[in-house]
Amino acid sequence: MKDRVLKIVSQVLNVPVELLNEESSPDTVASWDSLKHMNLILALEEEFGIQFRDEQIVEILKVGLIIEAVKEFTAA
Amino acid sequence: MAVNMGKETYAHIQEQLNRADLSAMPGLSLSVLRNIMIEPIEPYLRYHAYLMGYNARVSFGEYDNIFQEAAGGDDRLLNRQTDCVLVFAYLDTLSPDLARGFSALNPDQVAAEVNRVQDFAEAVIRGIRAQTKGLILWNGLETPGHPNLGIWDSQIDTGQTAVIHRLNDFIRDRLRLEANACFVDMNLALIRIGAGNFYDRRYWHIGRAPYTREALAEIADEDFKFIRPLKGKNKKCLVLDCDNTLWGGIIGEDGLSGIVLGKTYPGSAYSEFQREIVNLYHRGIIIALCSKNNEPDVWEVFRKHPDMILKEEHISAARINWNDKAANLRGLASDLNIGLDSMVFLDDSEFEINLVKKELPEVAAILMPKGKAVEYRQMLAACGLFDTLTISEEDKHRGAMYKAEASRKSLLTQATDMEGYYRSLEMVVVIRLADEFSIPRIAQQTQKTNQFNLTTRRYTEADIQGFVNHPDYDVIYLDLKDRFGGSGIVGTCILKYEQDRAIIDTFLLSCRVLGRGVEEAFLSRALKRAKGRGCRTTVGEYLPTAKNGQVAEFYPKHGFTEVNPGKSAGHRVFHFDLQMEPGSEPAYFKEIISDL
Repeated sequence: MKDRVLKIVSQVLNVPVELLNEESSPDTVASWDSLKHMNLILALEEEFGIQFRDEQIVEILKVGLIIEAVKEFTAA
Repeated sequence: MAVNMGKETYAHIQEQLNRADLSAMPGLSLSVLRNIMIEPIEPYLRYHAYLMGYNARVSFGEYDNIFQEAAGGDDRLLNRQTDCVLVFAYLDTLSPDLARGFSALNPDQVAAEVNRVQDFAEAVIRGIRAQTKGLILWNGLETPGHPNLGIWDSQIDTGQTAVIHRLNDFIRDRLRLEANACFVDMNLALIRIGAGNFYDRRYWHIGRAPYTREALAEIADEDFKFIRPLKGKNKKCLVLDCDNTLWGGIIGEDGLSGIVLGKTYPGSAYSEFQREIVNLYHRGIIIALCSKNNEPDVWEVFRKHPDMILKEEHISAARINWNDKAANLRGLASDLNIGLDSMVFLDDSEFEINLVKKELPEVAAILMPKGKAVEYRQMLAACGLFDTLTISEEDKHRGAMYKAEASRKSLLTQATDMEGYYRSLEMVVVIRLADEFSIPRIAQQTQKTNQFNLTTRRYTEADIQGFVNHPDYDVIYLDLKDRFGGSGIVGTCILKYEQDRAIIDTFLLSCRVLGRGVEEAFLSRALKRAKGRGCRTTVGEYLPTAKNGQVAEFYPKHGFTEVNPGKSAGHRVFHFDLQMEPGSEPAYFKEIISDL
């Protein structure tokens, strides 16, 4: 699941997957701005067939946090 | 194209765009004016352009700056290179009162808001046009699923829905006054995926982005139905397989009464599909067949099956044989004189579709899934590949014109000699004196014919009527039919008699019948007419124009001698001595009917 999240982040932000880890965030990835974050949310929701809660959308600004949020939906 | 995009995920589209070498493709400059956040539509727009063979650059105006940007100033956003301007004027931002507080408004307040929005649209359209000639695509207002007045809204013509419709009508009508400006009905995209899938209320509140990913994909689909024809990338011809595509079953095995086609299930799925094909025919799309079958079996279905909605007359060209379909598609393109890239090919066989995709990647090859005939009509209606920016009266007749041309051409390839070809056309020529029914068309011919026209004298209907009534004039017309259809009146000759001379005042033929020896028969009959009226000489003239060079030598070629040759570079005069036999007529006409 972590790999699937990393792949989506890599595709949407156009960053090689090797350069990404759980600590990656808008502070470490130049192309990760608020607009690309929207694209990222849309792509993740499609990939996993989920819908984040609105407060999650503005909070999950780190790959590690994204993985945890996705887990919350896919575990149930 | 919608058909291909359905399978692509949002991330995968972006991945393909990241990897593709777009630099070799021509550019497509799209500018977006908006009062919402709509940036996530960019991958869809760029992907559509990429499938069309273009490298799109999408420039977004500032949030809620439509009016200011239309007024001018930022030439990076709107300029001479702009191919298309997309306007997203969302009602919640444009007029929160009309969108969300409608019940609280009195009629004067509604009218004031309506006026304000109309003035806004007027100024924006005018401002964009002052800066660019590019296509303006105004994405209209959506109607609400839950109007502010509840069920009462539908009972009155002053409700919220009615007001939104009126605003849309105003914008649409205003766009119609401009060249290259179109209204995009957002309600179509909304209806197709449903309001529940269209709006993302989370991102509306977080970032003023109202639409879901599905909505953005659907909106981009709709917008590209306009951008494809703008770039001439719309498809013009639909090529159909027969067995298990137009009907269920295999005609060669199941026979006429065994194939699945009719008014009730399961045959009704194929009937509906055929009706959609006929819709395309009436929009000017050329319909062709490409099928592995014994040809007579297929035509028997067209002629004898009572439930065929698609008729032989709708089919412009057909390749029904056992050759491979890529070769047949090439043949059809050549018969119809159209490019392979303007063809869409439908077949239920994965083998055929894959073959065509591999051999002819420029053809849009679409697999009609086996066992899902009930979806065929919807698939064709939704593909969005055939849209044109307008539909004219002429479009409705295009199929018949292509059919005649393709038939003549395919006969020409079979014929070993031109005379045999002419003979096989079974041409019937009618040469008669003008009457009240033919006068309008004769006048029109003198007005419009430029190339095969010896004197280019333009006459009105009243002029022609005057000649017809005058004892010293004969107005003669020529009508041509062949086995593929009638061409109507295609030739006019006006003779003026002066003592024992006949002067050919006008001699012209429509270009589309040239090269069939019609002019020889026409001239010969005109000369016989002059002789019959007791003339000794016929006088022909050639008045050169920029367009009629091809007939400069027409009279000398047909036995006339020039008077004072070489004396004048312009106006040339020729004589024909009527003691001589007036030139021979080609023997390959099926019949020449004449009352002269």
